[in-house]
Amino acid sequence: MKRSLKKELLDHGAAVVGFAGLRGFLSGEIAHLETAVSIGVDRRLNEDTLSLLMKLQKRAVRFLKSRGYRTLAIPPDSDRKKGTFISKLYSLFNHKMAATSAGLGWIGKNGLLISAEYGPRLSLVTVLTDAPLEPDTPIEHSLCGDCTLCMQYCPSQAITGSEWSRSSPFAELVNTGACRSHKAAKRATDRKPNCGLCINICPYGRPIEAQESVKHERKQASDKTHGV
Amino acid sequence: MATEEKKKELLEKLRNAVIQYDEDTAKEAANEALSTGIDANDAIFNGLVSGMVEVGRMFEAQEYFVPELLMCADALYAGLDILKPHVKQLDLGVKGSVVIGTVEGDVHDIGKNIVKMMFDVAGFTVYDLGRDVPLDKFVQEQLRTDSDLVCLSAMMTTTMTGMKKVIDDLRTRNPNVKIMIGGAPVSQDVANKYGADGYAKDATNALKDAINMISSLKKMKDEAEARKAK
Repeated sequence: MKRSLKKELLDHGAAVVGFAGLRGFLSGEIAHLETAVSIGVDRRLNEDTLSLLMKLQKRAVRFLKSRGYRTLAIPPDSDRKKGTFISKLYSLFNHKMAATSAGLGWIGKNGLLISAEYGPRLSLVTVLTDAPLEPDTPIEHSLCGDCTLCMQYCPSQAITGSEWSRSSPFAELVNTGACRSHKAAKRATDRKPNCGLCINICPYGRPIEAQESVKHERKQASDKTHGV
Repeated sequence: MATEEKKKELLEKLRNAVIQYDEDTAKEAANEALSTGIDANDAIFNGLVSGMVEVGRMFEAQEYFVPELLMCADALYAGLDILKPHVKQLDLGVKGSVVIGTVEGDVHDIGKNIVKMMFDVAGFTVYDLGRDVPLDKFVQEQLRTDSDLVCLSAMMTTTMTGMKKVIDDLRTRNPNVKIMIGGAPVSQDVANKYGADGYAKDATNALKDAINMISSLKKMKDEAEARKAK
């Protein structure tokens, strides 16, 4: 069942699909749905990432329901209808936690999910279920290493540079207040709400042509910090 | 006009959409019901609500948990939004208005919202004050709207005590109003102690009780008027 669900989602546009065993990680209301199907979509490929995510999510829900299992679909963070009953429960859940538990990636210094293949360029949805799907192996530690490009390029100095690991999920990676106020200021000036530098600069999963310039940027950045 | 068979099939589809918490199917079935000429009232009560009653039973039997219950409620509303504008006339025997809210200090409003939904469906006029509502607000709102019923909800033992104050205030200002309380720490004992007219264990019971209370209230009013007329 696991294989056919994964295949179906990958065939319909998912970039990555992982399964996480979340027993003990979920709060009481949703604790009976202890397996998460984490679905990632490559943001570069498709203009309309959001509708693709929703389609994949519905596909996964139909797949599991038709086999008689319960599901709880958590929509993408960027598309949460307010005012529905179920939306009250969304805040109990974190897509990135499911994704790292499903072995899709780790949390980078920029606080985003980093996949070895796609970098921070995945958009995530999750479907929680009680179906017996064998979980994948979680990723325990960050693979960012010494790289601090996102930290150096962040215009609001919001990135603390702390290293993520699954055992310390509450370490402060990003000062969200600083990031948010920078975004608000940016929205006021050029009407574009997102900054996204920490995404663009991440060397993981960069398009090939951009790979060339990474070394150069890294050198520049280290020159900058060392005051050359 | 829809054949009996088709009608039965669509009502079943509406019912199952709620039970299966499938918003898309609920919308689809609601539109189909309208286009085949099924009475909107019929579709709501024998389709959507009948599904929700089953969901209530499953919740009680612990086959469904909170997330399923909430998603079922969302599916019901998805269908209801389509059907409601086509309801010609709701005839439950009673129509009432109700002031509802979660008391001061308490932000847990899921239960309150489900009870509100039941009132909505049944055609009550609902004045929803939301959550963390200042205690005075209930009294003011009741006087302003002249509602038949005030429903108070609390999730915590610490905020539950605020209900007593609201009930006392309401009683002094308007002895005729009916008061119903609910929420996790509330029981029949608490309701008796606080002087509430009713206690609702869950949303279905809340609606049943409310209809009974309002009927008795209306009856009282009618009798009083009849006496005056004599």
